[in-house]
Amino acid sequence: MSRSFGRQTPAADGPGKPFGGNTGPASGLRPAAPLLVLLPSLVLLPLLVVLPFQVHGGGLDLIGQFALAALTPSLDPLVLRSALTGLATTVGMALLGWAASLVLGVLLGLASSRTLWRNALGPIWPAELIRRLLAIPRAIHELLWGLLLLQLVGLEPVVAVVAIAIPFGALVARVVADLLDGLDTGRLDALRLAGAPAPAALLTALGPPLLPGLLSYGGYRLECALRSATLLGVFGLGGLGTDLKLTLQSLEFHELWSGLWLLFAVMLALETGLGQLRRRWLMPPRLGLGRAGVGLRGREIVLALAALVPLTFGVGWALGVDPRALLAWQSLQGLGGRGWLDGARLMALPWPALIAGTVALTLLAAALAVGLPPLQLLVSAPWPPARRLVRLSWALARLWPPPLTALLLLLVLQPGLITAALALGLHNAGILGRLLAEALADGSGAKEQALVSAGVGPRLALLYGRYPAIARPYLAYGAYRADVLLRETVVVGLVGATGLGSQLLESLSSFAWDQLLALVAVYALLTLLGEELSDRLRRRLLQRA
Amino acid sequence: MAAAALLELRRVSVAGRGGVPRLEGVNLVIEPGERVALLGPSGAGKSTLLTVANGLLPPSSGEVLWQGEAPARSRRLRRRQQARIGTLWQDLRLIDELSVQQNLNAGRLAAWSWPRALLNLLLPLDTPANAAVLARVDLAPELLDQPVAALSGGQRQRVAIARLLRQDPTLLLADEPLASLDPRLAASLLALLLAEVTPPRALLLSLHRPDLLAGFDRVIGLRSGRLVFDAVAGDLQGAAGVARLKELYRGDTSALEETIGTDPAQTPPGR
Repeated sequence: MSRSFGRQTPAADGPGKPFGGNTGPASGLRPAAPLLVLLPSLVLLPLLVVLPFQVHGGGLDLIGQFALAALTPSLDPLVLRSALTGLATTVGMALLGWAASLVLGVLLGLASSRTLWRNALGPIWPAELIRRLLAIPRAIHELLWGLLLLQLVGLEPVVAVVAIAIPFGALVARVVADLLDGLDTGRLDALRLAGAPAPAALLTALGPPLLPGLLSYGGYRLECALRSATLLGVFGLGGLGTDLKLTLQSLEFHELWSGLWLLFAVMLALETGLGQLRRRWLMPPRLGLGRAGVGLRGREIVLALAALVPLTFGVGWALGVDPRALLAWQSLQGLGGRGWLDGARLMALPWPALIAGTVALTLLAAALAVGLPPLQLLVSAPWPPARRLVRLSWALARLWPPPLTALLLLLVLQPGLITAALALGLHNAGILGRLLAEALADGSGAKEQALVSAGVGPRLALLYGRYPAIARPYLAYGAYRADVLLRETVVVGLVGATGLGSQLLESLSSFAWDQLLALVAVYALLTLLGEELSDRLRRRLLQRA
Repeated sequence: MAAAALLELRRVSVAGRGGVPRLEGVNLVIEPGERVALLGPSGAGKSTLLTVANGLLPPSSGEVLWQGEAPARSRRLRRRQQARIGTLWQDLRLIDELSVQQNLNAGRLAAWSWPRALLNLLLPLDTPANAAVLARVDLAPELLDQPVAALSGGQRQRVAIARLLRQDPTLLLADEPLASLDPRLAASLLALLLAEVTPPRALLLSLHRPDLLAGFDRVIGLRSGRLVFDAVAGDLQGAAGVARLKELYRGDTSALEETIGTDPAQTPPGR
């Protein structure tokens, strides 16, 4: 069974061969798979050297108070009620934005599928065109959409929903199109040859194989939507995020933790619930009764999806989400007057520094996010309580919006690139950590066990027995995450001096619309470039053995 | 010290699901230099006995002693005990993503420091020692640089044995290492293993089929978690021996018919 890794054929030794197949020491430096996983964590070394110079003594006691308050959250009924109301709003916004993004994404995904166009209409260039166009809404982070819409239509409940739906819809569309076009078209061709009309043939041949991937990805998007809704709240779009930010700024840590633990409970329930659904619906039962089970699960899935429709409308009504609000545009401050477009003002921006700052922030944060989890697991391997602590810290990190981490860090650190990178990196380390833990739980522990039985310590047994198999898939996901991080840098822009993100927020608050437009455009271009690069890196990681 | 047996099991029992024990009251002593075959039909508890013997599975009751010592409570001493026990797994448990050289060095991990273990993932270490163990399993040193995933099935088996030799344990355990191999390959691998067993080493090897008993000093029969016989290898020859084997495999005829046949004159030990 371990032979399944052998897929990578004997050609796998290609990269090493030029150095000579001999046994001499001339084989050069060739970091093996488990070491690759640890390489990104090397970024910690320079970071730890620089960090002491970033510390200003100020708020160390405040950080201590914050940490201690985790154990004694406020149980005041008023505080709890306010937190629960905020949480309900956040969850509602997340649900609505997610549902809208699914509908949007499936429709657009179908519209940008080459297979679909080829079979239904003939030409495939419209699919390519839609695909290209969809890259633009995808390249702009939901926070930017939210802030832009906020200026345009004012503080309406619908803003957060649409802000989530636009980029998420474009992301879902890409996944749907990729899934569709990646499917084997043999069955489809067979049905078409047998004379079935295009729509029926497409639905029959491509629907069932598409569903598992879509469900799994859709569930994951719901988790993302909850995180995004919280984040949007931090920037004033309502819900729990707003409460969290206010209590943090007024240093009411006990009340802060009340909201945080509630959010924690909801997020954990969502993650475990979705995990169980995934297992129930997607994994073939080992001792199942074959087709009867499949039919039953199919009915369950349809019922669950059908139940979502009235739920979504109910939530929308309760939150007062009114799509008509989108049509009532406000006049933008400063846009009416003459000279809103000022070439000199545009050129005055330090573009190279802005772009370099953004790229540096992305790389630093990505290295932290990818490098920390394997290192943390390795260090904590011998002590089960420490392992649990690490997992708890991941759960809190992915729950806690990065701008709030940034605000907390500002209590002890200088504003700047490193603080921003820490905030962003720690948040994403929480996401990658969970992924790593899941990959380890799914894998076989036989090799680790074999090493332990030969007297190897728990850390080295983990490094040699577990990491080799997960190294490449994990790093490939890390490459994808780096691309997400580039988009997310705007989120920690308020820490200052961190490239395009902070300049964007600054231009926005000073109503410099020309700068804003130019910044968004450059940001989007950079994101598209990053997407291309990370895509290539990912493919290389997955192909090479 | 010199008198202590390499492995001693005293009334070892392992509870199983539904009240059916996986091992029940097993007593076993293995002395330095002994080559012991563990026979039994599938499900007899051979793998369980081996995982108890290598310390992965603590018995529900009874004692396990390695060179007269009970499993140490201190982590460090315990690891030192474990390092003296080497296991050859049926699925080999080689690390496919690493080179042959790195896999062989993995046999030394228990003795190695952290930096060395990390360095092994970056540079070829201990090439002469690795080439030497490869030679003992009849493999060319050119293979050291190859990824394990690129090897043939037989080569993988040999690399697994070579890794065991790198570990240099005193107690060798092997869990059906010859299952699913063609007879010629099985015989040559067994010969390789047996040749490495000289005092103070000892070998306990489990077998499903009783046709490869030549070269062993002792044969142990396990059935339904109980020790059925513990015999000198020679005692299993002839009609009486075949009868004992038949009794051991009662109800599981597939293994027996293929290998023993019905004519006692054709029993393999005479080969």
